[in-house]
Amino acid sequence: MAELTRYFSHQRRVRLLVFGTLLALLLLAQVALQLNVIEAATGVFAGWGWLVANFAPIASAFPALGEISWQLAATVLIAIAATMVAAGVALLLALAGARTTSHWPLAQALIRPFASIMRNIPFVAWALVLLFSFKQTPFTGFLALLLMSVGYLTRAFMETLDEVGHGVIEALEATGAGYWAIICQGVLPAAAAPLVSWLLYMIENNIRDATLVGMLTGTGVGFLFDLYFKSFRYPAAGLVVCAIILVTIAIELSATKLRQVLNA
Amino acid sequence: MLTVTALNKTYPNGKRGLIDVGFELQAGTVTAIIGPSGAGKTTLLRSLNRFITPESGTIELDGLELVGATRAALRQARRHIGMIFQDYNLIEPLSALENVLHGTLGDKRLLPGMMGLYTHAEKKRAMALLQEVGLAESATQPAKSLSGGQKQRVGIARALMQSPQVILCDEPIASLDPQSTATIMTLLAKLAKQKQLTIIINLHQVDLAREYADHIIGINAGRCVFDDATAALDDAALARIYAQEEAMVNG
Repeated sequence: MAELTRYFSHQRRVRLLVFGTLLALLLLAQVALQLNVIEAATGVFAGWGWLVANFAPIASAFPALGEISWQLAATVLIAIAATMVAAGVALLLALAGARTTSHWPLAQALIRPFASIMRNIPFVAWALVLLFSFKQTPFTGFLALLLMSVGYLTRAFMETLDEVGHGVIEALEATGAGYWAIICQGVLPAAAAPLVSWLLYMIENNIRDATLVGMLTGTGVGFLFDLYFKSFRYPAAGLVVCAIILVTIAIELSATKLRQVLNA
Repeated sequence: MLTVTALNKTYPNGKRGLIDVGFELQAGTVTAIIGPSGAGKTTLLRSLNRFITPESGTIELDGLELVGATRAALRQARRHIGMIFQDYNLIEPLSALENVLHGTLGDKRLLPGMMGLYTHAEKKRAMALLQEVGLAESATQPAKSLSGGQKQRVGIARALMQSPQVILCDEPIASLDPQSTATIMTLLAKLAKQKQLTIIINLHQVDLAREYADHIIGINAGRCVFDDATAALDDAALARIYAQEEAMVNG
């Protein structure tokens, strides 16, 4: 009985501690930033009002539509190209690094940490570093997305291969099949649906990120937004945002559809 | 004929998997390996196509020795040893027919193997084998849409596609309902006679071994404690095979 009481009072203390810590952090943040939560809340409404009044893509913005669509298409294509190249590289790395498909202990030991490092460096950091070597060109953005995607997809592919791998590999090894036959006829068909799903996810993500990278590298639709914004052409900048949102939603919807078809 | 002599396997953790196991199996017979959990049934079965490599002993199949075989020789030998699994191990998104055709991959060179290029004759044979296991009408369906019993029949057809001399069955009915179990066991027994195969099955259930096997190997704590015709399996033999388990239950 006493033990039960002790158990519940302990649970209560833990919860109070967690809640109290969070509250303290919030108060600390307020003091540090001289931020008033209530003022901030009303400020958000005022901010939205200003946004709608100034950024609404009114008629005067529409002549820019041609330029915007062209740059948006270029940005989407860079994102897709970077993802596809990354997927090819990542698949080979994953085959060499995954426990079930790898015959090389050294590659297994090296690829996992390599992929983690690549993935954990944000693409913005990649872009900034690469700007020194490759200047403000679309290639810099492509490369930044590529490097981050290689890391991300390698990790994801390795886990997928390890999940589907063992039974499939054993079944085909039992027939006397060689390594590449086992990979191409067994492992890849078995893993195809999750692999493509990761690929689509990466494409979606990279399209969003590509617009941001464009601001840094001075290319694509991100640069266009930056340009309009800094030259006070707010309705045109608003049109860029709307176009990006529309394209992202469209890509998201078609990716979902494609996944459904694949998993059927 | 499959001849096994003095097979020994010790795991890295020091556990003895197999101790001096030896036996001889004839073509056209079904052999059941029975014994308590953890006795070494799976170790023994998986040693026979060298999924597990024993430290010493010999496994001889038609004059080819497997324990000391090189990688290339082993691949060559595995072409004649089919295997079916508890969880079927099919490539789920591929059709039943494509899964059966995988039985030919051992004979293929690098590129045709990678690309899955099968000859017309191979495709016809795969179709005929599906017919033989009663699945002709499901040939183009993806494996994942089949029932457990059907999947196992596809697994058997894939093994038969290798034109094997031996088929190893690793708990083939452990995931199946009683009716599918009967179908699969009857099919295996029929195939052994019809095609003069040596079929070796790991089983948990003694009554199934009695019903379908011609020959029984009893394993206890890594040792072969029974190796005789099914008719010779009496209570004394069963007590020997399941010795430790009873001791544990009786405290």
